[in-house]
Amino acid sequence: MDPDRYKKLASKYEAKRPVLQNCIRAFWTGGLICVIGQAVSYFFIFFFDFTEQTVGNPTVAFMVFLSMLLTGFGIYDRLGQFAGAGSAVPVTGFGNAVISAAIEHRTEGFVLGVGGNMFKLAGSVILFGVFSAFIVALIKSLF
Amino acid sequence: MKKMALAILLLAGCAPEHDGTALIETANPDAVQLDGHQDGLAEKIKKEADSTESIYDTAVVKGKKELLVAYKVRHLDRFKMKDIEKDLTKRIEKITGKDVDVVVSSDYKIFLEAVRLKEDMEADLMSEKEADKRLSEIIKLKKEMT
Repeated sequence: MDPDRYKKLASKYEAKRPVLQNCIRAFWTGGLICVIGQAVSYFFIFFFDFTEQTVGNPTVAFMVFLSMLLTGFGIYDRLGQFAGAGSAVPVTGFGNAVISAAIEHRTEGFVLGVGGNMFKLAGSVILFGVFSAFIVALIKSLF
Repeated sequence: MKKMALAILLLAGCAPEHDGTALIETANPDAVQLDGHQDGLAEKIKKEADSTESIYDTAVVKGKKELLVAYKVRHLDRFKMKDIEKDLTKRIEKITGKDVDVVVSSDYKIFLEAVRLKEDMEADLMSEKEADKRLSEIIKLKKEMT
């Protein structure tokens, strides 16, 4: 069958995507994750010797660790299904990407399974993160 | 979902009385002068900082050599933090002269520590010498980058 004709035919029977509902869900869930992150950073500022300048690192570490734990318990996957990009875009999505890949390949062994596939998804995030940071630093040092 | 909303509402009632140190609240602590002089310099600087439209709360601690001005910036003015800091430093240095090491900061932690220092002094928990040492520690904290 002609691909265009097939697409037209298939679109008749496709369930309509609730785009607006998905956007609202992503907005609220992503916002809620950010509110939790902000609360965590204020906790570190209030009870430890972190300033607004230095609190970023422990906050990010805590949020990633938290999402890794939640992924292990199977809670973050449900949240991901509900919120979509709202749970994937914040830094917690990074922890989820690492651990879910590790769990998926656990049966293939620790070295070639978990070790080899853990950064299957998150590897690109690290690569492009480091690369863009390098470019920005280069621009900043030159100008 | 309803249960969760109810739990949040109930827990919100457990919040402590206003201690004046929350980010959006105004604590307005009195200026503290630790250099032994009673010339009202710290108070004068506090008034100068308070007169800035973008700033809504300030804490001033004047040590023997250093002067700390911690302040909170109105939310929408946070886009021009650097300009506010530059302008405030200039105005304060005009008052103090070049003998005093002026440190201004919009960091919440620095503000919090300045308020704690003032409260501890009022409660007689530390001497002026100890307070001056702690002021230096707060300023050191401000200079930390990572």
